[in-house]
Amino acid sequence: MSKKYCIFITALFCAFIGVFLVANAVSPDRTFSEMENRNLEQRPTPSVKTLLSGEFMKDFESYTTDQFVVRDSWIGLKSATERVLGKQENNGVYFCDEDTLITRFDQPDSQKVADNLTNVNKFVENVDIPVAFSLIPTQAAIWADRLPEGAPNASQSDVLAQAQAAVPGALWADLYAPLWAHKGEDIFYRTDHHWTSLGAYYGYVGLAQALGYEPVSLDSYTETVRSTEFYGTVFSSSGVRWVRPDTISTFVPDTGITVTEHSYDNKGDPIEIPRSLYVESFLSVKDKYSMFLGGNQSLGVVKTPNTDKPKLLIIRDSYADSLVPFLTPHFSEIHLIDLRYYHLSLQDYIAQNDIDQALVLYSVPNFVTDTNLLWIAR
Amino acid sequence: MVFSSLYFLFLYLPIVLLVYYITPLKWRNLLLLVANLIFYAWGEPVCILIMFLSIAIDYTHGMLVEANKRKGNDRGARLAVASSVIFNLALLFFFKYWDFIAGSLEAIGLTFMPKLGLSLPIGISFYTFQTMSYTIDVYRGDARVQRNIISFGTFVTLFPQLIAGPIIKYKDLGDQIDCRKHTPELFASGVQVFVVGLAKKVLLANNLGMLWDVYKALPTAELTVAGAWLGVAAFSLQLYFDFSGYSDMAVGLGRMLGFEFMRNFNYPYISKSITEFWRRWHISLGTWFREYMYIPLGGNRVSKPRLFFNLLIVWAATGIWHGASWNFLIWGLYFAALLILEKAFLGRVLERLPALLRHLYTLFFVLVSWAIFAVEDFGHMGTYLAAMFGMASGGLVNDNVGYYFISYLPMLLVGAVASTPLAAGVWKKLPEKPMRAILPVLLLAGLIFSTAYLVDATYNPFLYFRF
Repeated sequence: MSKKYCIFITALFCAFIGVFLVANAVSPDRTFSEMENRNLEQRPTPSVKTLLSGEFMKDFESYTTDQFVVRDSWIGLKSATERVLGKQENNGVYFCDEDTLITRFDQPDSQKVADNLTNVNKFVENVDIPVAFSLIPTQAAIWADRLPEGAPNASQSDVLAQAQAAVPGALWADLYAPLWAHKGEDIFYRTDHHWTSLGAYYGYVGLAQALGYEPVSLDSYTETVRSTEFYGTVFSSSGVRWVRPDTISTFVPDTGITVTEHSYDNKGDPIEIPRSLYVESFLSVKDKYSMFLGGNQSLGVVKTPNTDKPKLLIIRDSYADSLVPFLTPHFSEIHLIDLRYYHLSLQDYIAQNDIDQALVLYSVPNFVTDTNLLWIAR
Repeated sequence: MVFSSLYFLFLYLPIVLLVYYITPLKWRNLLLLVANLIFYAWGEPVCILIMFLSIAIDYTHGMLVEANKRKGNDRGARLAVASSVIFNLALLFFFKYWDFIAGSLEAIGLTFMPKLGLSLPIGISFYTFQTMSYTIDVYRGDARVQRNIISFGTFVTLFPQLIAGPIIKYKDLGDQIDCRKHTPELFASGVQVFVVGLAKKVLLANNLGMLWDVYKALPTAELTVAGAWLGVAAFSLQLYFDFSGYSDMAVGLGRMLGFEFMRNFNYPYISKSITEFWRRWHISLGTWFREYMYIPLGGNRVSKPRLFFNLLIVWAATGIWHGASWNFLIWGLYFAALLILEKAFLGRVLERLPALLRHLYTLFFVLVSWAIFAVEDFGHMGTYLAAMFGMASGGLVNDNVGYYFISYLPMLLVGAVASTPLAAGVWKKLPEKPMRAILPVLLLAGLIFSTAYLVDATYNPFLYFRF
């Protein structure tokens, strides 16, 4: 090869690494990635201590990766390449039939499952109100026929059977059968890990006996389409960019219903922040599922006009957010506690707020990995 | 710092190259020393003190050896060499093997050695071997003593080969430290080797590694015969592309800075015997042990029993060099046994067999060796090997094996072809014109896809860090 050509190759390589050096230096840093739904690492400031411990270098590495120019496009390129190479999953998400993305469900840590169930059982024994308990099987179980041929998929039914047996004092509600019966319908999002309002409705029917109400028929509601442009969390983590978006709809009207978030201000004083059953502002951002009740909160209280009805406490994950609208006709108040943030005594809470009955409701994948259930028994 | 990371590729490397080439020739070694130290301190700020100590002691020992030799004091020179070897081995022993020995003694009830819980300084296995070879070479007259401590420090810490080899002997690099040429031809060839190495590491090794991770973590009850072989096949390709990719990147970076390092791998999986495999796998380690251990022990020119003993010793050392764990020792002895058998009679038998059988023989024993190498837990190693030989709780095969096999088939095929000289052979036969047109496209593709995979993987440790 001639000298000229070698200079060209040298220049090409140096230009490639140089362009990104400059581009990364001049492009403004982002604070938040909507796609990944997390805060991005900011430029760390070195100190003697962090330099000696290597902490600065670690932070700087995360900073470089997090702030790399057109980060989301690189991730899209990677997942597209994986697909071309014949892979049927990327970053723990299966590429499934019918434009569906399903998060892998691997064999859970049996010790963790047993511990979590023990804690739920303790809760049931600690309180003197009736407790209903249920776990929501997810896409990997109900839509297993959409998974790639032979794809590893641990049994969620086993977890359900184990859960029912481990908490004999609770009223167990089976959600597998009602969801399975409607698996041909859009009961889950194809790009998000949650159930849709329709799926939540079948869940609500499945919970009826344990919670003691007569379910309202779906026909008595009219469906309202809220968004047809929803790409959820599984879409983000998969890196897949070739599926069509999901539709978010609601059924239950929110007239006369108030939602209050209970939190603390900077000084540690309790404050109340008004929310609503549907927070439409979330429809214009990436995290559209947070439209239901306004997303994560430590403690939320939903008050309905049906003041003669009982008060329900739900110990829950985010699947409950889209279930709550269906529960509003049957309760005067619905108290929602998220144990990730709420670490006070539940016994006290039940006594202080005259709660009549409780429901412990998690999706199977969240339940088997949850690390905060120890707070339920406090 | 690792080469296959975004901050190395798009921050450290362009800045170092730019500053290196605008610095006048006589200051370049000093600049490189500073750059090397930043590279090393990035991951292990405190361990740099051990590195300084190692540089100072080996530099002094080199001078001592030379001074004694000049005075005709061979005994003094030998003592200096011995002192240097002892120091380097002590350093390695203390940081790498202390806890392993303490733990092993504890297991049999002896507790006089407390466990220290020291973390292994990155690259210590590599740089102690390099500096040890320096004083020996000065004594043997194979290398001239280095009087300039900056040049010596640059040799010890040279960042392209600092943390994962190839293990470069001073006699091969000493002259290049003092005087080297920088030409566009060398730089451009460095670019090619570097990008090939990057693609091997990021696109092939990391990818196939995910398949091995699945089988390594699989509960015993789910392990099948076919799955165990699929897993170990994935690991064998992962390890080869990981390590040879890293060596290629080292060679490429060396050329960009005007150095020529030795080739560390020569298509090991096409070998027709285990003896040949070890001439093609991790060549810089093999030659190091040959020159500084096997030959001093007498090499081939000894009686058969002594030869077998020598092989056993050298391969036990090679095995345990790979990590402070019993499985690495067993792995080394496993190869010692095969090499002794080949030297005794098997080699002559093999020569009369058809090539295909010889390839199958070699691949079979190499694959089994990787199962010993990769599974550190003894109980699990036994289960895994048993599964490979038909005793798997999950039966012969199941649907999951089918899923993984189909999913990874294209990658496995690409990997299998890339571990032979086939593609390189075709490339060399191309006429100049199409070659000149394709090369930039391939380079850019390698860089772009590797970048995409690196951005995607926020966590990307290098496999050989344990060594």
